[in-house]
Amino acid sequence: MSGAFLVVILALGWAGITGNFSGLNLLFGGLVGGGALLILRYSIRQQGALGRAGKVLSLIALFLYELMVSAINVALIVLRPDLKSALKPAIVAVPLTVKSDAEITLLANMITLTPGTLSVDVAEDRSVLYVHALTMESDTALIAGIANGFEARIKEVFQ
Amino acid sequence: MTVAAFVDLSSLIALILLGLALLVSIVRIVIGPTLPDRVLALDLMTVVAMGFIGAVAVRTGRMLYLDIAIALALLGFLATVALARYILRRGLKTDAAAMEAQS
Amino acid sequence: MIGDIALCLGGGLLILGAIFTLLAAVGVVRLPDLYTRMHAASKAGAVGGGLVLIAVAVISMDAAVALRAIIGVIFVLLTTPVAAHLLARASYIAGYHAGESTVRDDIKTRLEQNSGS
Repeated sequence: MSGAFLVVILALGWAGITGNFSGLNLLFGGLVGGGALLILRYSIRQQGALGRAGKVLSLIALFLYELMVSAINVALIVLRPDLKSALKPAIVAVPLTVKSDAEITLLANMITLTPGTLSVDVAEDRSVLYVHALTMESDTALIAGIANGFEARIKEVFQ
Repeated sequence: MTVAAFVDLSSLIALILLGLALLVSIVRIVIGPTLPDRVLALDLMTVVAMGFIGAVAVRTGRMLYLDIAIALALLGFLATVALARYILRRGLKTDAAAMEAQS
Repeated sequence: MIGDIALCLGGGLLILGAIFTLLAAVGVVRLPDLYTRMHAASKAGAVGGGLVLIAVAVISMDAAVALRAIIGVIFVLLTTPVAAHLLARASYIAGYHAGESTVRDDIKTRLEQNSGS
């Protein structure tokens, strides 16, 4: 069921990118999408997509809000005349509680685009994410902010 | 002022601002001082160029330019990935040699 | 009437996106070291580029164009952090360290502990 759902979404995406919603083009998009799914069928986890759509949407909304805040923050910092004193850069180790590749990737990407943080490296044993902070007030606040914000939301979405 | 004139004016202002952004990122490419700084500025330049193409699309009304902007973003991403691999393999050595040769 | 509002909104978004992109470029020049510069390029750059694409989508008022522009925005938001992360990781491992103003560096501490034990 979820496979057919994905094929329809892929066909619509194909029609959108090519800018042509005719029946033949939709059919072609569906065939290409179905072929891609056939190749990838062992690496896609089966999951009830619709049940967690609400959580995904709230994650996206939180992400877009934080993205705007972070861009405005960086823009204001850049404009300050006393730039050097406004900065307190630091590389902080943030312990990870999410374990799978997909979750770590998503978390690292979101951290990079949210206020004052940039993910630099993941430890080999995946226990720690190294985060570069632009203005570090206190390390505990930074770590708690990530753990209670995105990390908790991402766990909700993936479970 | 009519709405069409406002859109025309805003696309002109956007083009001027983006042109300034291109110039400013070229400053960073020229002064360096290290290889990753230049790669970063090049990456930013492709984003600026993408915005520039978007503004041109609005100004000329030819939405075909949008495809070019998306393709340019893809190209910039791949270029940054390739350059990051290059930095990973042999960045500091060649960079230090180049800086020594310069001084 | 709705078309007029969309055009005004699109023009505003276009200027806003251009301002963010310009500030990203200014940040890349003004900030003191590589990693702080990456903050400016990745955040303000991605938002600036994304806003310009959204502006094109709003001004075109054409479903096919708007869908392509939104796919472009998603693409930019997915690739910019990946590129910044790759570049930061590659330059850290290659030996470019953070500038003197950095107050704390946990990766360095880890590497020193590893070599000590």
